[in-house]
Amino acid sequence: MTAGRAIFDLAAAVAIVFSGLMVVGRNPVRSVLSLVVAFFGLATCFVLLLAPFIAALQVIVYAGAILVLFLFVLMLLNVGQEQPDRTGRPIQTVLGSAAVLVFAGLLLGMFRGSGAHVPTPADPISPSALGDPAALARLLYSDYLLHFEAVSVLLLAALVGAFVLARPEKVS
Amino acid sequence: MGGSALTFLDWAIVVLRVALPVLVLPLFVVPLTWLERRGAAFIQDRPGPNRVGPLGLVQPIADMIKMFFKEAITPTSADRFLYLLAPAIAVFAALSTFAVVPYGATIHVDGREIPMLGADLSIGVLYIFAITSLSVYAIVLAGWASNSKFSLMGGIRSGAQIISYELAMTTAAAGVILASSSFRLSDVIAMQQGTWLGVIPRWNVIPQFFGFVVFFISAFAETNRLPFDLPEAEAELVAGYHTEYSAMRFGAFQMAEYVNVMVVSAITTTLYFGGWSLPGFHPQGALGALASLLVFMAKSFFFVCVFIWVRWTLPRFRYDQLMKIGWKALLPLALANLLWIGALEMWRMRA
Repeated sequence: MTAGRAIFDLAAAVAIVFSGLMVVGRNPVRSVLSLVVAFFGLATCFVLLLAPFIAALQVIVYAGAILVLFLFVLMLLNVGQEQPDRTGRPIQTVLGSAAVLVFAGLLLGMFRGSGAHVPTPADPISPSALGDPAALARLLYSDYLLHFEAVSVLLLAALVGAFVLARPEKVS
Repeated sequence: MGGSALTFLDWAIVVLRVALPVLVLPLFVVPLTWLERRGAAFIQDRPGPNRVGPLGLVQPIADMIKMFFKEAITPTSADRFLYLLAPAIAVFAALSTFAVVPYGATIHVDGREIPMLGADLSIGVLYIFAITSLSVYAIVLAGWASNSKFSLMGGIRSGAQIISYELAMTTAAAGVILASSSFRLSDVIAMQQGTWLGVIPRWNVIPQFFGFVVFFISAFAETNRLPFDLPEAEAELVAGYHTEYSAMRFGAFQMAEYVNVMVVSAITTTLYFGGWSLPGFHPQGALGALASLLVFMAKSFFFVCVFIWVRWTLPRFRYDQLMKIGWKALLPLALANLLWIGALEMWRMRA
């Protein structure tokens, strides 16, 4: 096992553990911070997978901007300790567990299918296209242009949706 | 590098290259606090600190000793872990940003090539933005973990301010990346060598003057210096995010601020003013490398002085003015600059 592999495993473990802490934590601010640490673990993984550009974007966009916004809103609303919700119905637990199982199955199937092609730091083959910003840009703006635009429209739709939901209702 | 084994000397050089700036930058904070206080006094037409040593030069040492030996008080209702983590993040972010900035020409000694910078990352510019975007956590966490309303308001303001200005700053810097078609800082400097028409240096500041203006104004906001020191705002918020900090924990925030001022000046020098290079200056050997280091320091020092000069001559913006400038003036200007550089590059590629 090379040093790169050891660091990769460590970073992946950090990402998984802190993602778990984010879900379990009762204090919202600490949850956000756990997510920041998890993103750092993920960024380290990207660096070791020869995609430093993605790693930098991961830190700048997610850790540096989006989570700061989360923190900003939490602090603005001054959210305290989260109370465990006891109003849930039993059906929620059943459906939730079922969703987790289905998702785990999908994930496992995906790994089985593509496990052989996952690049590792030890791979002698060419650096992945994701490592080079120019190659990535060319792919995004040519082959995957439609997908790229669809995702941005999706984000816009989510934004408008959130706005409509959160808008105070008009008194007629 | 590569297959050949690194000797002890190689390792020593690498460690020195990385450690030197990290050790030297905090040392520069000492004369910088003196410069700031004397500069403030000069602008406000008063003597300033002049009792300790000649011209008050030993004053920063006295301040430091005071900070180290004061009692560090932790508020009882504070989130202790995050309260202590915040100043550590501040200092860490400030010092590690410098790791990719080239501070001198490459030295050739004994067949060895020693570039004077920590690490020549292929994503150098992005690395800088990644680390500086983390420095906001120091302020936001300090504000939240102190469990005091003044601190909290300072933290909230900082969050909004940095997000707004980071956008303008990155967009402005994208112009430089576009012009040098590389994220590597040594490429950015290499691209600015030589002159136009024999007299005008090929610095980025000339074609991208508005980009430079946006970048430099945003830099004030990113370092929380007046006129953008709303997170601190001593007239309204006591001391803002570091109200509840005392002794060296407060000192850590102060140190981070001054290190940030130096680092941002160094980055401005590198991105827009040719870094350590001068037109017609070809550093040779160790002496040349030293000269390039001095050129770099002189250029950066100029911007540090501008930071001090602006702090003591401009009043603080109001919160709504801050948002208006960021979103309605700086961001469109940065976008226009990016369009202009894009057109320029297109024209250059055609020609």
